[in-house]
Amino acid sequence: MLRASGLVKSYRAPSGEPIPVLRGVDLTVKDGELVAVVGHSGSGKSTLLSVLGLLEDADAGEITYENVCVSVRSRSAKSRARGRWVGFVFQSFLLLPSLTALENVVLAARYTGRDRTEARRRAQVLLDELGVLERKDHYPQELSGGEQQRIAFCRAVLNDPPLLLADEPTGNLDDANGAVIFDALRRRARAGAAVVVVSHRPEAAMGATAVYRLRGGVLEA
Amino acid sequence: MLRILRGYAFAIAGIAIGVAGLVTLGAMSERIVRFIEGGDRFVLGQISVAGRGMGMGAGFTAGGLLPAATIKKISAVSGVAGVQPQVMLPLDPSTSQFMTLTQELVLGLDLSVPMPNRYYRALPVRVGRYLRAGDRHRAVVGAAFAASHGLGVGSGLALEGATYEVVGILERMLTAPDRFVFVPIEDAREQWVAKDRLLRTLLASGAAALTAGDLNTGVAVGWRDGADPDAVARRIMAEVPDVNVQLPSELSRLLRASTAFFAALLVGIGVLALVIGGLSLANTMAAAIFERIRDFGVKQALGATDLDLAREVLGEALVVTVCGGAAGVGLAILLGSSIDVWAGRSGQQLFHFSTRLLGGAFAFSVLLGAAAAAWATLRVASLSPAEAIRRGA
Repeated sequence: MLRASGLVKSYRAPSGEPIPVLRGVDLTVKDGELVAVVGHSGSGKSTLLSVLGLLEDADAGEITYENVCVSVRSRSAKSRARGRWVGFVFQSFLLLPSLTALENVVLAARYTGRDRTEARRRAQVLLDELGVLERKDHYPQELSGGEQQRIAFCRAVLNDPPLLLADEPTGNLDDANGAVIFDALRRRARAGAAVVVVSHRPEAAMGATAVYRLRGGVLEA
Repeated sequence: MLRILRGYAFAIAGIAIGVAGLVTLGAMSERIVRFIEGGDRFVLGQISVAGRGMGMGAGFTAGGLLPAATIKKISAVSGVAGVQPQVMLPLDPSTSQFMTLTQELVLGLDLSVPMPNRYYRALPVRVGRYLRAGDRHRAVVGAAFAASHGLGVGSGLALEGATYEVVGILERMLTAPDRFVFVPIEDAREQWVAKDRLLRTLLASGAAALTAGDLNTGVAVGWRDGADPDAVARRIMAEVPDVNVQLPSELSRLLRASTAFFAALLVGIGVLALVIGGLSLANTMAAAIFERIRDFGVKQALGATDLDLAREVLGEALVVTVCGGAAGVGLAILLGSSIDVWAGRSGQQLFHFSTRLLGGAFAFSVLLGAAAAAWATLRVASLSPAEAIRRGA
């Protein structure tokens, strides 16, 4: 599903000095695989995930989804590619505060042209599966961190994306809620999605098809 | 819609305040414009002629006595269509009131002759009626005069020892007639004699062979269709001796020159209003968009293109600026009207909320709000989704 080759990315320090973050990362994730990328804070895990999900451009390298090279596409085409292929789970949930839980989930269908009624029905099924259906009319600020992440997970999988990218998905959760999210991610992989999880927590590696460590901008098996 | 309004409540309030500032300052400017334009329209609608002399005069008929024989000669000049004898007197002849912009005047009109002014064939009466031929000791008063003197239809008005019944009150015109008292010319002549000791002495001495019809401070002269008013005025100057003739175009130029300060002031007020209101509005709108930068990053992560976001933002900006603009206009009208109620007790009106001002301010707020939103969206769109999410956090 996902193939990345030769990814290079650096940021600029205030002094103008380039700070290399990724130095030629290669990664392949097949359908049904759950890949864990671990590493200490600041090692570039989140940057790697952003680049893999086309949230920012690499300085060099190539990314393909289902054998389609997406990294060279225009900005709009990359947006459409994200809507079609990728689901994101973020550490800080990133729910829109002006929308209810259900509306946040259904938002994922807005930019993919999916039928709104069908999306609402599917969203309610997902919320029920994650045990937060009774919270569907609540706003994010009325929900606990665990509830917010479950809702964010529902949003990420609403369109059944073949690629799921999770950035420290349990970073703001207690162990019990963290277990719920990891379990949900594993189920997505079993259902055929390619899942990439980056985390500094060791339990991210449990049940993973492959575990990589990002060190010095290079992925190590 | 309610969701958008709730989410942008602060922005709407900010825009409303900006637009309210723009509209109130603009309404003050409009008030001055109407005053100047009204005077200009009046002087361009007639040729004003007074007798030659150094009489203290009042208003636009400053000069000496204009006898009936001279008026007859004016009527005979080619191009003249109508001549209305008038007596214009200051209500209060003390020097502190003399020739001020807010001077209260008594204007006596010969009601047997139609008003020759091309732009003021009739004055608009708000309540009661206008003067008719044959009326005596009846008065029609301007709106500001009525307010400051507490007059209504049926009220009595004391002028030089005589009591006049107020039979009509004019619409507020925001220009000179607002402070006028209109009376039949015969009554005005009586007031003139009562006011002017020199004239009384002259009449009593019998040194001058004057009849009542000779007591005029001036005439308003109309011209035939197609005639050049300045040319007609010059012909009067050439053919009728001993008159002061005001050329309409020259009087208009003089009026504009004497009100140049106000014209500059209102331009300043207008620019100030646009800058203050516009900056407040644009800043509020742009800030409201930048506040949501993280939301835009999330939406891009979900597949939204720049065009999707631009459509959403501009749609929301339109709703926000329309609501903010409408609220601002309402706030300004409320504020201005409240101040005018207070000022109206002394016959003043400080604001004029014209349709062009309200429409212009509303359109300005919507266009500027949309432009500010578009600019802010372009700034947001120049970021990668990851950067937008990072900055929003």
